[in-house]
Amino acid sequence: MSDNHADLIVLGAGPGGYACAFRAADLGRNVVMVDPRDTLGGVCLNVGCIPSKALLHAAEVIRETRHGDDWGISTGKVSVDLDKLRAKKENIVARLTSGLVGLAKRRKVQTIRGTARFTSDKSLDIDGEAWTFDQAVIAVGSAPVSLPGWPEDNRIWDSTDALELREIPKRLSIVGGGIIGLEMATVYAALGSKVTVIEFMTQIAPGVDADAVAILRAALEAEDVTIHTGTKVTEVKAAKTALTLTCEGGFEGTIKADAAIQAVGRRSNGSLVDLSAAGVEVDESGIIPVDASCRTYVAPIFAIGDVTGNPMLAHRATHQGHVAAEVASGHAAALDTDLIPSVAYTAPELAWAGLTQAKATERGIPHKVASFPWAASGRNLSSGGADGLTKLVYCPESHRLLGATIVGRNAGELLAECVPAMEMGATLEDLALSVHAHPTLSETVGFSAECALGTLTDL
Amino acid sequence: MSDVIAAPSVRALALQKGIDLEKLARDLGRTSIAREDLEGKRPASRPAGDTSYWDVDHSQFGPVTEEPMSRFAQLAAANLGAANALIPQVTHHDRADVSSIEALRKELKPEAQARGVKLTALAFQAKALARALREFPRFNSSPSPDGKTLTLKDYVHIGIAVDTAHGLMVPVVRDVDRKGLWQIAAEISDLATRAQNRKVGPDEMGGASMTITNLGGIGGIGFTPIVNPPEVAILGITRTEIVTVWEGDTPRPLPMVPLDLSYDHRVINGADAARFISYLAGLIADPRRIMV
Repeated sequence: MSDNHADLIVLGAGPGGYACAFRAADLGRNVVMVDPRDTLGGVCLNVGCIPSKALLHAAEVIRETRHGDDWGISTGKVSVDLDKLRAKKENIVARLTSGLVGLAKRRKVQTIRGTARFTSDKSLDIDGEAWTFDQAVIAVGSAPVSLPGWPEDNRIWDSTDALELREIPKRLSIVGGGIIGLEMATVYAALGSKVTVIEFMTQIAPGVDADAVAILRAALEAEDVTIHTGTKVTEVKAAKTALTLTCEGGFEGTIKADAAIQAVGRRSNGSLVDLSAAGVEVDESGIIPVDASCRTYVAPIFAIGDVTGNPMLAHRATHQGHVAAEVASGHAAALDTDLIPSVAYTAPELAWAGLTQAKATERGIPHKVASFPWAASGRNLSSGGADGLTKLVYCPESHRLLGATIVGRNAGELLAECVPAMEMGATLEDLALSVHAHPTLSETVGFSAECALGTLTDL
Repeated sequence: MSDVIAAPSVRALALQKGIDLEKLARDLGRTSIAREDLEGKRPASRPAGDTSYWDVDHSQFGPVTEEPMSRFAQLAAANLGAANALIPQVTHHDRADVSSIEALRKELKPEAQARGVKLTALAFQAKALARALREFPRFNSSPSPDGKTLTLKDYVHIGIAVDTAHGLMVPVVRDVDRKGLWQIAAEISDLATRAQNRKVGPDEMGGASMTITNLGGIGGIGFTPIVNPPEVAILGITRTEIVTVWEGDTPRPLPMVPLDLSYDHRVINGADAARFISYLAGLIADPRRIMV
């Protein structure tokens, strides 16, 4: 056996990778974690969830300050010092990633900076060094998809570039109206860009409840964001003065922009680690197929997170990381739930889990819908919240909660009540009879249930 | 989302114990599974008790083979166990003269053949039992689960226990008191045939006033059947035998059928049972009285 031997090696130090490495170490394993980045935390901490949330918070502060006049609070014109904002964001990221270094040390997890590639089902090459392992967990994540046929130009950004905050373009086009595109629209609109979102599907946030999305769309448009749905970008020209996007479909014409963000999705990185050498299957989308216990078809090799396909979400990766660590260490575990919450941290936030009305209809699942408009929420109005909606999908027979979609301030936090409720098989009665504090936004969940049961007195 | 409701912690425990939650829920006839169901405690639908008596390595005493109990057999076992554990049962034995019935059957044989129906003794016994149940309504009742109420039924349905290849089944003939013998005989025969092929629908199995379990075709001089809850009594029948009856000094051989009536002593007392079976025996001995 070579000197470079790992009991368990984790490829990737993102939220899935480090969760897996730390859990395995806590279970008594000798763990090595390898990642090409300078810092731990992967896309999520470095160029994803965390920096985007820092910028979204800044955007929120800007909007609140601008709306201060309504409350008799005037602060004059809001100005943004981009260098300071960028430094603040980077400081937050640095604090979290260095925190991870401490957590890794405490667990005696060896971290290696490098790029790992399989050479067999028991060995790896890490930047020219040969390693052997007993078990491996692939957690190499995903990368933004680049649109084909676009010119090379540094005014064309992916989500990583957008989070670098190089400048505030006067005119910003965002191609792709999914979570990432809409979050970037929220940030740059607040920073002062004239933002245009171009979405190929007939609705922004495709697949999410249409009533909720309509509220988000109206709010974005009120912030002067232009939205073109059902629209395809057929050509992009990069001239010295501007980028020109030619559009077809819902919007026909050209859009001039000083920068454009490609936010059309992410691709699994399964094809980057020479899996054929290990005999692990990977499909043409770069996805490694795994079972609920995160096993690949090759016994000592597991895969977790974005590299295993959709939904590509950090919290799914974290749970899979724990599952893989436990299964690899001889325990029985699985992530066997469909209830993985999704949140767009836009203004207002959009959050959902379980079945939407449309999906239930499409699958022929008997269902009914209960909702509560936030215009009737005392807490929402008294805290300056704009429009919002809490919408529950439930089984008409058992009253069991099947899905929840919430749009409005802090929707992402509010959804947290609904997920365990669905996991526990809670009914509308369970939600309605659980006492919600007043005045809170969480009341809207109880109110929705009461509305369906006919016991609501707040509408 | 799974159709079985179980908390995430319960699902994790099931995984660790290698228990298939969907299957467990099906077996227990439930939509939700709680932690207790997984923790070695006996599921609520089975009678509680120490099962360690059966935890024996029989192979130490000689060669053995094992075969699985079918789901059907497991369900029947659970029901019988519960019935025996929960009902204080007494069995009353008597017999009835069947010479009139036998004479009548012989007489009607050509007509039976013409109709394509086998007019069995069981059809007469079912008809007689239906009449007796109208006369003694307490035998056609069920206690409530808490034992505070007795539900008296204004219908007479008779369950017929059928011995099939896959286990015991009890299809039910409805409204026996309002049907003629030809129809009763035909329906019993049809249900028994379909039971053999497992073609009896769930709506044809339950809601009986009382059950007849007939071993007459096999033999025996008596047994103690177990009451089929929520019914309060069951009538067991074994093989008709020639019994010598003394009429004064004259011995007279008579064909008599042994009758075994097991009953729920919470609902029926011994004297009532004796009156009931004596009345029933009278109807069987003189079937004309069934119509009177």
